[in-house]
Amino acid sequence: MVSKNGTKNNLRTATNQAVAHDPHSAAHLESPHLLGIEGMTRPVIEGLLARANQFAELPKGAFLTHLNGITIFNLFFENSTRTRVSFDLAARKIGASIVNVPVSTSSIKKGESLLDTAVTLNAMHPDILVMRHPHAGASLLLSQHVDAAVVNAGDGRHEHPTQALLDALTIKRTFENITGGDIAGLKIAICGDIANSRVARSNIHLLTTLGAEIRLVSPKTLLPTGIEAMGVSVHHDMMEGIRGVDIVMLLRLQTERMQGTETPSQREFFHLFGLNAEKLTAAAPNAFIMHPGPMNRGVEIDSALADNHERSLITMQVDMGVAVRMACLEAAYGAQKHRDEAVS
Amino acid sequence: MSRIFFDKIHICDPSSGRDAVSAMLVTDGHVEAIGSPQELGQPPSDAVVIKGGDAVLAPGLVDIRVQSRTPGQAHKENATSLARAAAAGGITAMVCLPNTDPVLDNPDSLTALIRNDRHDAAAPRIYAYGAATRGLEGTAMAELGLLAEAGAAGFTNAVMPIADSLVMRRVMSYAAMLDKPVIQHAEDPSLAAGGEMHEGETATRLGLKGIPAIAEEIMVARDLSLARLTGARYHVAHVSCRQTVQLIRAAKAEGLAVTCDTAPPYFILNDLAVMQYDSRFQLSPPLRSEDDRQAIIEGISDGTIDCIASDHAPQDRDSKLLPFGIAEAGSSALETLLTMVMGLYHQDHISLLKAIDLISTTPATLLDLKGGTLAAGSDADMVIFAPDRGWQVRGADFLSLSHSTPFEGQPVQGKVLSTWVGGVNIFDINDATE
Repeated sequence: MVSKNGTKNNLRTATNQAVAHDPHSAAHLESPHLLGIEGMTRPVIEGLLARANQFAELPKGAFLTHLNGITIFNLFFENSTRTRVSFDLAARKIGASIVNVPVSTSSIKKGESLLDTAVTLNAMHPDILVMRHPHAGASLLLSQHVDAAVVNAGDGRHEHPTQALLDALTIKRTFENITGGDIAGLKIAICGDIANSRVARSNIHLLTTLGAEIRLVSPKTLLPTGIEAMGVSVHHDMMEGIRGVDIVMLLRLQTERMQGTETPSQREFFHLFGLNAEKLTAAAPNAFIMHPGPMNRGVEIDSALADNHERSLITMQVDMGVAVRMACLEAAYGAQKHRDEAVS
Repeated sequence: MSRIFFDKIHICDPSSGRDAVSAMLVTDGHVEAIGSPQELGQPPSDAVVIKGGDAVLAPGLVDIRVQSRTPGQAHKENATSLARAAAAGGITAMVCLPNTDPVLDNPDSLTALIRNDRHDAAAPRIYAYGAATRGLEGTAMAELGLLAEAGAAGFTNAVMPIADSLVMRRVMSYAAMLDKPVIQHAEDPSLAAGGEMHEGETATRLGLKGIPAIAEEIMVARDLSLARLTGARYHVAHVSCRQTVQLIRAAKAEGLAVTCDTAPPYFILNDLAVMQYDSRFQLSPPLRSEDDRQAIIEGISDGTIDCIASDHAPQDRDSKLLPFGIAEAGSSALETLLTMVMGLYHQDHISLLKAIDLISTTPATLLDLKGGTLAAGSDADMVIFAPDRGWQVRGADFLSLSHSTPFEGQPVQGKVLSTWVGGVNIFDINDATE
């Protein structure tokens, strides 16, 4: 029986806890920054997930000291509650000092502040900059102008790597008793606003790298050109698209990134592409539901289904977010230190 | 009387088809005689003699799409840097877009910028287009008749399309009456809205919003219908995609008065260049697909594309040091125009004569500008260049105030040695490399 947070075995939990306390067990990155999943190799992804899994099994009150003396800046140029708080908590749980930098979300529209802010903050010698920004490629640009390791917390429509990692960890733990935690061979449908979603892009890269079969279910107007080249199949009929899938991953309709009318109405979107109990019958028996949040109830997902604890992994996704970000911050710091040592 | 005798030099003049070792006598800023070394014989005793060597002498480049940034944005380019950069690029005449500040929508602003007769200023000739609409707002016709009298080379909305069909119809009808071309930046604004790069797989991977090729195609298709209706001379600027080339090819076959140009990025690069979000590749129109790039080369080779302009759109550093999607579009291009077109010659897509024709003779003829020919009696506007000499593009070395080029680091062949306007040497590489 899989328990509420997905753990199953006390002996293993104890071992994992011991390893979690060992800073030498940090996951390794192949680059000094964590900017996206595309190009990340399977061993790197597996390493981050294994490390995050160790952190996930720490008791609730556990705080580590691995990153004592390390300074992390949270730079959110876009409104966010859960991701910002999740990084904040993750940093504290691994012993780092974190500063939430208040950045004006309006000044970025003038296009003036990203590098000015970066240069100013760089002078304070942070070790890691966690950034969310409304423009794709902003985290790469930042990484080219600062000494700190940059962790991308979402850049425009491009990538949201920690979200994909926490989704993968959620899946691994959920399927531990079913497939041994193996993601390869799972059928996963990603549904809704693909065009405007960085979560979709990161998840497609990550889950296909780990061998899952990915189907996209979306109206044609919310699918970006050439997405099939990313190794996915495309469906416009939801029942057909989710037929037999193990996981239905819903995306939030990104109304703030949409221009004009990509769908006629939210009512029509829910009718055709919103998940309800009836459509869910097409999926595999006991298929799970995921959503990166925040949910638009009655748009992507029927409200009752979102609260169905038998099927919904949404709360667990949030829980895993902290563990994944601990592993990512630890790995990013290690990669940066490695780079600095190589330079000096 | 000042006389210069060019002795045994490879002269390439598309206006006469001359492509051979020749001799030329320039007297008081005009070509007095041109012919074979035997025909011209010994240089006159009072002439300065210049020997050819491996160099090619050709009519100077005539660049029909330049954003001067002056007046109004002197931090991006000023009159001096513009002239020096153009001269270093072998350009003897350029046509500036009216998107200056103030906008060139009145005769006074236009005449203040134009400098096409003062070759004693030792600078390339400057022509300008008049704004097609007041304030470039796309809603009401500018004073096209007065602008034409003041010397406008044609009418355009600069980097903005004339999107309203009724306005475009009126501009075309009126311009046809004045026998001036209408130059269009063809991009349907609603299809291109919010776009950050060419729509396609690369944009999808990068999470950048696409500007579809069809935004260009649709506007050209509409404009061709209006050109048929109004009889206007219609010129499409910086053609970037296959469908546009095909539309123009068909329109030419039909006999419409349509011409077009493209710019080096569109036959050298494709949208894959954007993969690292490098804002040097933020251009308008955006870098297109490899298939589009091939179609542009085909269009150049078969004559569908009439000429190549630099599309000089200088930007300062701050305008480029931004996330790709909000970085300003454009590049510093005056100093690479010749060498990039020579690339087409070196790759056997076109002959040397054709290369010069694309950047000198045809654009000069199209807009009735000085230059483009070395026929006896014409102004001695010339470039001397080493077609095979290799170098590496380095924006930091540009004389333009803008150092952003999509060709940064690229090894190229073809180097300007000297530039002459009205028989006056306005650039010499030996001075420049001091």
